[in-house]
Amino acid sequence: MRVKEIMSKEVITVRRSAKLKELLELFNKFHLFPLVPVVEEDNRLVGIVSFRNLIDVFSPYHQEILKTVPFLDEQEEDIFKVELTKHIGDLLIVEDIMETKFISLQEDAALEEAFKLMKLHLKEEFPVTDETGKLVGKIGIFDIIRRVFQEKGVI
Amino acid sequence: MNTILGLGFILLAGLFSARLISGIRFPAVTAYLIIGILIGSSLLKLIPVEILNASGLISNIVLGVIAFSIGQNFYRDNFRKIGKSVIWISVLEACGAWLLVTLVFLLILRQPFYISLLFGALSSATAPAATVMVIREYRAKGSFTDTLLGVVAWCLIIFAISLAISQAIYSHRLAAFFLIRVFLNSILSILGAFVSGSIIAILLSYFSRFIRTQAELLIFTLGCVLLSTGIAIWLHLSVLLANMFLGAILVNINKSSFSSFEVLKTIDSPLFLLFFVLAGANLEIGLLPQLGLIGSAYLVFRMIGKVTGARLGAHISNASNSIKKYLGLGLVPQAGVALGCALVAKSDFPNIGSMIFTTIVATTVIYELVGPLCTKYALQKAGEINIEHHQRI
Repeated sequence: MRVKEIMSKEVITVRRSAKLKELLELFNKFHLFPLVPVVEEDNRLVGIVSFRNLIDVFSPYHQEILKTVPFLDEQEEDIFKVELTKHIGDLLIVEDIMETKFISLQEDAALEEAFKLMKLHLKEEFPVTDETGKLVGKIGIFDIIRRVFQEKGVI
Repeated sequence: MNTILGLGFILLAGLFSARLISGIRFPAVTAYLIIGILIGSSLLKLIPVEILNASGLISNIVLGVIAFSIGQNFYRDNFRKIGKSVIWISVLEACGAWLLVTLVFLLILRQPFYISLLFGALSSATAPAATVMVIREYRAKGSFTDTLLGVVAWCLIIFAISLAISQAIYSHRLAAFFLIRVFLNSILSILGAFVSGSIIAILLSYFSRFIRTQAELLIFTLGCVLLSTGIAIWLHLSVLLANMFLGAILVNINKSSFSSFEVLKTIDSPLFLLFFVLAGANLEIGLLPQLGLIGSAYLVFRMIGKVTGARLGAHISNASNSIKKYLGLGLVPQAGVALGCALVAKSDFPNIGSMIFTTIVATTVIYELVGPLCTKYALQKAGEINIEHHQRI
């Protein structure tokens, strides 16, 4: 069984130039904030945004290079106390907060492989690309579990 | 007190004191050092001898872990982002402190050449923790802050290379002193670290496909870092460089390697705590009065070297005026890596190690107190601290 057989092919994506405000509004009616792939015009996958990256907005200074420096007092900002300017929704764009180091799956990968990677990296969903790096879908842990139930004849 | 009881006590005391001191906005590192000095061999003598004797071991492990995570900065995309001025300033401020401290120790304080060199190398390190804390606390933003952070990260890399050179010179101090030979040895030590780091990185990357869970990943990554550290010690290579190359090669050949770096973060905090408490505990307060001249020379000339070097680098790379004038001051804090190396030096060279170590710890405590103020002043002068905001807090 391959990833492409069970992945969701319709995925909500954003461009790197989208504003934070637009990103938040996009998922206004959702129960939770999903993993959002960031794609270029030709659908090439360049990043992902998760709720973690939204929390980073509250840190006054969060530079990529700092994440690698040891001994930093990694106090998470108290998001209830941080003062944010109300213009931040227009000032920040997706490119500022997206994650550029992430794991994506090839559409031909085996389901077992996908499940293994989810467990290993403690992630619940992965974006799926074709060989050229273009986004073709998204697969979540529930997609896999449901498929296994199906195979066992439970549903 | 038995060893295990001692470990438990150190961890809890460290945690408690860090909480206490965060009230007056000091970094946790300072708290660990102070608690170490208090319960250490000079004052209360609460730390079991077995743990004190293991200081060299623990600092080698911690240095290995630190260097491994710093290696991530060598990701090829980062090279493109880092500006020309960051590289010039990092190289020159580190060299400035190194040269000036070495020369002052050699010519004015009349110390042996290898001791002068070791002090010089240690002086080139900058502590990211204190600098970053100030930046975060005052919510500084702008090109000055960006440059400062870039320099702080690169500084560690240059420090490792300068230390490797000093060690090469130290290990050959008994042989007739030939400049070419020392040069070759330094190159050899750097190349050796590169080869060892690369081989382990390739193995790590290859075998990581068999890793199935987070627990396995943690064991595997830590095992590889220890392997690399151990091989470096065994072959007399630089522990810092070997692990830095391991991290650097890994991040460039394996796109999911960031998980390896992240997984180590889950266990490194108690190690860091232990490491700093032990650094404080090893401080021989009795030596302090004799170190007055050496210590103050180190304090003053390291600062002058850093400021001048940074200014020169900023001039060469045509940086903005505020960077030219004030960036050096932001680089004054010292801790972490320098402390670790001094701790290793203490166990490696018992005859001179104590003096080097005590000087570094004593000056670190002073720098910890003064450094953040310098950084704050630099940021203020560069106009990147929002004073209004700060006063409201």
